[in-house]
Order: sequence, then C-alpha cells, then structure tokens
Amino acid sequence: MSTTIPWQKNPLLAWREIDGETVIISPNDSVMHELNETGSFIWRQIDGRCSAAEIAGMLAAEYEVPPEDALADTEALLQQLVSRQLLVLAGAAR
Amino acid sequence: MSTAVQAAAASVMDRVAARTARKHHPLNVHFDLTYRCNERCIHCYLDHEDHGELTTAEILHVLEELAAAGVLTLTFSGGEIFLRPDLFEILAAARRLHFDISLKTNALLVTAERAARLRELGVRSIQISVYSSDPAVHDAITKVPGSLARTVAAVPLLVAQGLKVQLACPLMQQNLLAYRGVMALAGKLGVPYSFDPTITPMMDGSGGPLTHRVSTAALLPVLQDPVLSACHPRPAARADVALPSGKPVPALASAVSSGLESFSYEDIPCSAGHNSCYISPYGDVLPCVQLPQTAGNLRHQRFGDIWYRAASLEELRSARDSELPVCGGCEIRSYCERCPGLALMEGGDVLGAYERACEMAEQKAHLAGVAHPFSALHAEQAAAVGNGRASRNEHSCDQVQLVLK
Repeated sequence: MSTTIPWQKNPLLAWREIDGETVIISPNDSVMHELNETGSFIWRQIDGRCSAAEIAGMLAAEYEVPPEDALADTEALLQQLVSRQLLVLAGAAR
Repeated sequence: MSTAVQAAAASVMDRVAARTARKHHPLNVHFDLTYRCNERCIHCYLDHEDHGELTTAEILHVLEELAAAGVLTLTFSGGEIFLRPDLFEILAAARRLHFDISLKTNALLVTAERAARLRELGVRSIQISVYSSDPAVHDAITKVPGSLARTVAAVPLLVAQGLKVQLACPLMQQNLLAYRGVMALAGKLGVPYSFDPTITPMMDGSGGPLTHRVSTAALLPVLQDPVLSACHPRPAARADVALPSGKPVPALASAVSSGLESFSYEDIPCSAGHNSCYISPYGDVLPCVQLPQTAGNLRHQRFGDIWYRAASLEELRSARDSELPVCGGCEIRSYCERCPGLALMEGGDVLGAYERACEMAEQKAHLAGVAHPFSALHAEQAAAVGNGRASRNEHSCDQVQLVLK
C-alpha cells in the first residue's frame, strides 16, 4: 500500500465512536465492524487528505511510539479497511 | 500498540449491544415520521390524523441531536413514511450524519426512481408489510383494493438496487394460515420474511385491535409447524441480510425491532430505555413504541436531557428480570417473551405479569416438553381462588389437546 495516497471513508457507511471505540456498519453487506482505541484514532484522521505516512506521524506523536511501528500499524489497518471496502480513494465515486 | 478492526458480526454486535445497554448509551432509535397512512389496516394501533407533525427543520435538528448523543441506527417508520414529501431530505440528512438507516413501509408509493434514490442514500434495509399472498386477504386487512399487487410490485424495484428487503407479516385472525403463502411469495421474490403474532392495543390504551388477535390456543398449530420452527426464513441467496448475529432469526418472533437486536442483554427484558428509544411524529420520546410512557418532548427539550434525566427512563432502567414481583420467580420464565409495554397496557403494571405472555409461555413450554407448565401469575391466581395447581394444568392441557385434534 502506498504511504502517499490519501484515503477517505466510504460515504455510505454508518459509524459512531462509542466509549473510545468506533463501530462501523456497511450497508452493502450489513456487517458491523469495530475499531479499538488506536484504530479509532487512525479512523478519525482519515479525511480524504491525509496520507498513511501523515496519519502514522500523528499516531506516533499521540501514543509516543517509534515512527516505524506507527507506520506499520497504520498501513496494516488501512489495508484491512480497504479490503473491507470501508475506505475508498479520495475523490473516488461511490 | 495494537490497532485492530473486528468484524465477526455476532460477537461485535452482541458486545456493542451489551456495552451500550449497560452504560445506557443511546444506540438505536425508532423514529415514526408520520402517523398518516394510505392504508387503513384493521389491526393498526395508530390515530392517523395529523395532530401537528414535526416540521422538516425540526426533524433535521432532532437528527443532529441524536448523532451528537451517539445514536448509530435509525429506523424510520410510520404511518407511511412516503407520505412525507420531505422524506428524501430527511434521509439525506441522516446519511450526512452517518446513521445506519432502515425503513418500514407498505411500499405502495415506491417507484424505480425512488428505489434508486434510497440506494444512493445508503439505506441498509427495508421492511415491507405483507399480510397474505392472497389479494383478497391482504386487501381486506389494509382496506385498500389492489394494495397487495402494488406492494409486491415494489419489491423487485428495491431488490434491483441491491437494497435488502424483508417481508414482515403480522399474524391475526384474518390471516393466521396465510404464513405459508407469504413464505412462498418471499421465496419467489428472493427476500427473507418474518411473522409476528403480536397485536397491540391502540397507543391510547384502548383495545380495538385486540379483537383481531389470535388466541394462544389457535396459535398453537402455527407454533408447531416445523416449517417455522426450522428457522430458515431466508432464501440462501439473501443470507447476507443477517446483520445482528449470524444466529438464525426465528421466523416467528415477537419484537418491535430496532433493526439491531441482540440476545446478549443481561437480566433486563429488552433494550427499551437502555440503549434504544422511540420518537413520535410529534417529538415525544418514549422508551419504545409499545411502551406509552412519554419521557419528554423534543420540541421543548434536548434529546440528551430527556435520555439522561427523565425519571420514567431511570425507573425503567432500574428494573431487573430476576427481581420482577411476579415473573422474577416464574418457573417457565425462559419460555416467556414478556414485554414491559404490553405488561403496562394489558396488565396495568410495567413490572407486572399479563395474561397473554403467561399463556404463550405455557404453550411454548408445553411444546418443549415441560410437564405441566404453569406460570407464576397463574399460580398466584389459582392460589387466590383456592384452586389447586392440578386443576389449572388440566385446563391448559385440555386446550392443547383440543387444538391438536
């Protein structure tokens, strides 16, 4: 996965942060997903402008972890979210 | 550090439902946009006159408050929602606010264009009322000639858009034996179905609709039908409809569904007031459409203030199944689908027992092989009139044998 491509949340998703964890429902498959605290932090930063590298930088600063670990975690999560169609390329049509 | 996304539907749903219920976080809202309707179903519990519905601006403001409070799932219902000319404006606002959106409708006003718009707005599921596959039976219940044909014609329009459609069939005296036909119709349309024998009093408490309710004895053959007890309500092609759990959803159930039901609530009767509530077209907030205890009104109060401060909700939340005065010690409690709202409307006490639930529990326990099932309420009644336990049991079994002939 490229670290420079900005992603955006699938606009058809339903989601809420509940007690620090994010619950996401996809209308396409009616599956409920849940992100833990750090996953929710990453989710909050996904705005269609930030790249994976930029999000990883914020993650590293927030949780005081080595940048390389933050980038690996961010990329891994983004990959999972993309594979589940919870993220789309910024500017992409539905 | 570990980031994680989990999506095992059953465990995630149950965990979220249990956590929000425990913490009284508002998760699900059933929002009736209007009580007006283009059908006049004989069992309906609503007053169809418009007594001052929320305006578009008021509804959009309510949606913003619900989103801010953390509500995730919205079920828009009525009345008939398509009679609101601002329906798509409301749905678009709900989409912008990232709600999970489900609809309940009779589908009479669904067109191909509207179906496409629903898809664009990310509506996840649509429940459509169908009472029979026989137009004579269905149309006699809705009092609208030709209504079955129009309703059924809408289903392929919605399915063609990839929308998840479910047929919902309340069972009453007029259509009790229609369920097999509805199952066949659903199979033909490629959609799942559900049946519900719960017929409720009018919202003002008057019992008119109850005259159409099927007696527990007459319902017994339906409960015994292996087609229903097999719990295969969904054609395989549509098996992905099951959001909540992955567990088989009983084809015959009694529930006012928020769209997200869970089996994980601990020692509370249901989600009403714990993580779900109902909003009327006039802005009243209730724990559930079947529990007529108004906690506040959104024209005058903020949702958060009502949800977290209403005394009636606090009282409801303090109730525990195991501590209910009559039902808490009932031997056949596990077979009972006691509803707090029906307990209030039919028994006069939200914490009390009521005849219908006790009868149904006894029938289900009997079918499950329980010898002489006897509810706590009936035990109290028998004791009060000096009747022995045995005489009541014999009466109950007589009913069963009569029906089985």
